Amino acid sequence: MPEEPRRNHQMLVGASILLVGALLAFGAMGIRSDAGYAGVGPNFLPWVVAGALVLCGGSLLWEARSGGFRQMDEPSGSASGDWTALAWVSAGVVANAALITTVGFILSCTLCFMLAVRGLRASEGKPQGGTRGLVTDFVTGFLIAGPAFWLFTKVLAINLPGLTATGWI
Amino acid sequence: MDIWNQLLGGFATAGTPINLMWAFIGCVIGTGIGVLPGIGPAVTVAMLLPITAQVEPTASMIFFAGIYYGAMYGGSTTSILLNTPGETGTMVTALEGFKMAKSGRAGAALATSAIGSFVAGTIATVLVTLFAPVVAEFAVRLGPPEYFLLMLLAFTTVSAVLGQSTLRGLTALFLGLAIGLVGLDQITGQVRYTAGVPEFMDGIEVVLVAVGLFAVGECLYTALYEGRAVQQINRMGSVHMTRSEWRRSWPAWLRGTALGFPFGTIPAGGTEIPTFLSYGLERKLSKYPKEFGTTGAIEGVAGPEAANNAAVTATLVPLLTLGIPTSVTAAILLSALQNYGINAGPQLFQTSSTLVWALIASLYIGNVMLLVLNLPLVGLWVKLLEIPRPQLYAGILIFATVGVYGMRQSAFDLFLMLGIGLAGVVMRRFDFPTAPVIVGMILGPLAEAQMRNALSIGEGKWGVFVERPMSLGLLMLVAAVLLLPRLMAMWRRARR
Repeated sequence: MPEEPRRNHQMLVGASILLVGALLAFGAMGIRSDAGYAGVGPNFLPWVVAGALVLCGGSLLWEARSGGFRQMDEPSGSASGDWTALAWVSAGVVANAALITTVGFILSCTLCFMLAVRGLRASEGKPQGGTRGLVTDFVTGFLIAGPAFWLFTKVLAINLPGLTATGWI
Repeated sequence: MDIWNQLLGGFATAGTPINLMWAFIGCVIGTGIGVLPGIGPAVTVAMLLPITAQVEPTASMIFFAGIYYGAMYGGSTTSILLNTPGETGTMVTALEGFKMAKSGRAGAALATSAIGSFVAGTIATVLVTLFAPVVAEFAVRLGPPEYFLLMLLAFTTVSAVLGQSTLRGLTALFLGLAIGLVGLDQITGQVRYTAGVPEFMDGIEVVLVAVGLFAVGECLYTALYEGRAVQQINRMGSVHMTRSEWRRSWPAWLRGTALGFPFGTIPAGGTEIPTFLSYGLERKLSKYPKEFGTTGAIEGVAGPEAANNAAVTATLVPLLTLGIPTSVTAAILLSALQNYGINAGPQLFQTSSTLVWALIASLYIGNVMLLVLNLPLVGLWVKLLEIPRPQLYAGILIFATVGVYGMRQSAFDLFLMLGIGLAGVVMRRFDFPTAPVIVGMILGPLAEAQMRNALSIGEGKWGVFVERPMSLGLLMLVAAVLLLPRLMAMWRRARR
């Protein structure tokens, strides 16, 4: 990756950690300190963590500005990200989260599978296979989600939402 | 002898058909996910945590432990044939194993790693049987100050020793501690960092963070950056070793076990260090140094594989006797115990002795099962590598949903899972270690409670941590772990 954007990205990471630390400090102000015998109460660790994260964030910012993060391995994979692929996969998870209670586990997870597979395949530069590909993905997703649902709800009695009350879909 | 009677009792419990079945399923799943790239034992156990609501503790711990060490067996198969280590512990195996496979000796590499894992796993289990009760007896005498400092030591080693940069390790640790803060304070019941969201009252589930960071994060990272990476699968040979390969393997197995076990028992975090040490040792001792890095040396597979399995088994000692996890999977096993309201610690050997001994007995049984699963049947597992990557990763998302949604039946958690997954992508891209996050969030609340109890004992004075000889010693150890590497680097620079 060229130097300029890399430095900016690293500074962004450092700044986010700094922000998390600041937010935690803000939250810590609202926690009472019923110290009791210990001398330190429930607000003690929050302050420590907030302080430490501010320090870490500051140090990361400083490292980023002065030549980049230290002792860093080159990340694996390509230099630039395939953001469309990421969007497809994320859309799958979001759709799943939004629909799982209404259309049930099996259908919602099948949809998630179809969207995610599409993104991952696009990132590999492979063809999607048109309508036939869609049908194959639906069947594959269903064949994973269905048995998973039946196994976990019927054998292990874990609560997962269904579309109907029959317990089969 | 008392230990042997209790172990026999353990075999009686672990040997019931239902528990044998759990051990077997655990070993099968463990081997499978070990073979599959992109999913490890920690996240698998995390996804299956919801079963703790239904399955009784002994059975589920046997099951989870089977997944844990099964993954170590399976991970080596992927390292040897694919050169993408399934687990961090099998990274070193990939160095020589992949080279061996390339020069047509995949079979021997697979055999030495499976048999070596069995030898090391069994010896380590014997050592656990002998040492764990002794450590537990000793640990009963530790008070809150000592416990707090032991946990502090675990925090320090997991964040400062592992990984490249101490700064990024500590950042990850404090992020984990911050996640652990969300919810009710254990001692006073004070609400912290819930931002008015009712879902946050019970805290953030380990399943959610582990699955988000490891499964969803991995899937997103693959889509974003690794689509064009091409993988090359080595061909399998027949799985057997010649007489000379046996002769070269067994001393390496024993040395690897001797290196791996002690590292697993101390809170020094995981299997990376002993496997690397073992690799270096074998390379130095080998009579065939030319094979290292060229055609692949069998010692370079045998030693690290043994070290890896010995270390994994040994992590059970601090987990069961002190309640301190030294690896991510051990941390998740700890939270499985917490789900049952069982406090891991020295009392565990008295209060839940049936569970503990059944678990230890199941390690003996599981190692035999895994040897059978991995040697003659290795060809079946290799077929798993033919699953195309898009379908594999998308399928993992479905199981991620089972784990996260099944834990609390909350769709909110699924959104949060995506957020944590995206954070995981950033962490991986900028080389932040993830283990400290999990260890921090699980061990954080326990450490906080111990610290405040210790201060209560000391009537609010921090001197309580230096007045007791044991805790002073531990404190110095923590300081040494943090400072020594830096001082040594400075000393080296000054000499130049």
